Amino acid sequence: MLFALAWRNLWRQPRRTLLSLASIVFTGALLVFMLSFQIGVYGQMKESALKLFDGYAQMQVPGYADDPDLRRSLTDPAGLKSAALAIPGVDAAAARVNAFAILSHGERSFGSAIVGVDPTSEPLVSKLAASITTGRYLNAADSDTIVLGQTLARNLKAAVGDKLTLLGSGMDGSVATDVLTVVGIYDSGIPELDRSVAEIPLSRAQETFSIGPRATTVALAGPSLSAFQNAVPALGNVSRVRGLILKEWSDLEPEVRDSITLKYVTSAMLYVTLVVVVTFIILNTLLMSVLERTREFGVLLAIGMRPSVIGQMVWLELVLLASAGAILAILIGGALALYFEGHGIMYGDLGKVTAQYGLPSRLYPEFSALSALIGPGALFVAISLGGIVPYLHVRRLEAASAMRAA
Amino acid sequence: MIAIVSCRTLTKTYVQGTLEVPAVRSVDLDIEPGDFATLAGPSGSGKTTLLNMIGGLDRPTSGEVSVDGVSLTKLDKNALADIRLHKIGFVFQTYSLVPVLSAEENVEFILRLLDVPVRERRTRAREVLRQVGLAGMEDRRPARLSGGQQQRVAVARALGPKPAIVLADEPTANLDSKTAEELIGLMSNLNTVSGITFLIATHDSRVIAHSRRHIEMTDGRITLDERRNNAVAA
Repeated sequence: MLFALAWRNLWRQPRRTLLSLASIVFTGALLVFMLSFQIGVYGQMKESALKLFDGYAQMQVPGYADDPDLRRSLTDPAGLKSAALAIPGVDAAAARVNAFAILSHGERSFGSAIVGVDPTSEPLVSKLAASITTGRYLNAADSDTIVLGQTLARNLKAAVGDKLTLLGSGMDGSVATDVLTVVGIYDSGIPELDRSVAEIPLSRAQETFSIGPRATTVALAGPSLSAFQNAVPALGNVSRVRGLILKEWSDLEPEVRDSITLKYVTSAMLYVTLVVVVTFIILNTLLMSVLERTREFGVLLAIGMRPSVIGQMVWLELVLLASAGAILAILIGGALALYFEGHGIMYGDLGKVTAQYGLPSRLYPEFSALSALIGPGALFVAISLGGIVPYLHVRRLEAASAMRAA
Repeated sequence: MIAIVSCRTLTKTYVQGTLEVPAVRSVDLDIEPGDFATLAGPSGSGKTTLLNMIGGLDRPTSGEVSVDGVSLTKLDKNALADIRLHKIGFVFQTYSLVPVLSAEENVEFILRLLDVPVRERRTRAREVLRQVGLAGMEDRRPARLSGGQQQRVAVARALGPKPAIVLADEPTANLDSKTAEELIGLMSNLNTVSGITFLIATHDSRVIAHSRRHIEMTDGRITLDERRNNAVAA
């Protein structure tokens, strides 16, 4: 009876209830869509950043990230690759040799990060091969070839077909020298990569830097970052038993991680503000309706209804309103998010710019239980908790004075 | 005979700022089972305040009031609510029904609070509605009932739990003459036939004409308390 009474009370003033409901639904649906959008876009951001060069994770010798010395290298990269590829969720593994050297062309010399890559497996973990704008990427038959970022090529005044001299130091302290022919120039859209990274065949790097069959890292990828995340614990174990560490995406791209965290924090502040404002609006409306019914509550007290039961009834009205609003918000916001998850959102000319930087020209929200529940859930909890105000107000009512209310 | 309502030196003083306004002054009163008593007096004489204290709606400043042997003076809010629920029926001046409930649901509501099983409370609600002449109108909400019909529902609601006493505060004040007469006749008949005890605060001479015990109040004191044999028959 209390439930039926609360529900009917809500519809005494249908317009007011509908407006209150609309504000919960609109805010809740907006939160569902915005969170789905953020989760989707940030996921794409992570994927794009990681796919461009790092891979979803890397296996390394402990301490290598802080002090990338060739002596901190993996002794059995081929065995590591096999072990990683045996784990579900991992569909690509590529050994790399990372070294530093001076590249010279004519009278120009620039410091560069030389990455020795396996031309066959590297394109499976990195999109750099797809970013070639002039010439071609490395292939399995290559030996003394090199691809450069476009800024580095411009700085060196090097073009496809030019020969560059490499001068560095090998793992054993010997002087590492080589002469390499530029076969391709890439434009990744990431200035740091374009300015400093040059790729040469893995075997050539192992020879030039006197590293033998070793590699400094094994970069890994999967069908998607979320699918790959399931493989992380097993990859961690594989690394641990070999005395290695697994660098996850957040270690490889701390700027992306921090940027996403910052965006979530600033968005959360906005969302909390929205939830608080809507909660106050709803509470204000309910409190108004409670004040209007003071005399009626006096009568209910007079006929023997306990103040706490009347308070519960009023609270139930709020909980029902919040529940209905939250459910509708999930349905409407979810439907919107799912529609755009399928169709994507184009964002005009900006799409061309973001495409250049590895982001797709369409952004896809990612609807999930988290994005569906967190916003409407927060609204429901806030409004329901706010119900303590009218509850306490009603509990304090005295029958005689309440009945004298206008 | 044991009194259903017993007031001893019952006093209520309201404090307005620094001013003390006595509303009820040292009232002694017993209401016997089966009484059909009216409580009359000019506005401000204290009859509603007295009725509210008897009904546990207001607390006395001093003195004692008990209903059906239970002293109300030291009971807390919840215990007073329980006493009202179990022992007292109320009929108010304005139509005090829950607007979102039908006539039957309004009567049933109070029985629901008493945890009466569903079938029993439906039967009882229909029975009392028939008693007050509203058979066939069980499903109407208050907005679809006339003022007189709403007061009849209020009487039915008061009778539903079979209370020890029904307290009515100006029950005819908002009714036209014919409807008021019908309501008085109904209450008087319920008293005669079913022995239900009524204490009615009223100005209405028609109600007073039906009363078999008439109490007058002036300035918070009882100035007349007489039993009458010449009351208008129900």
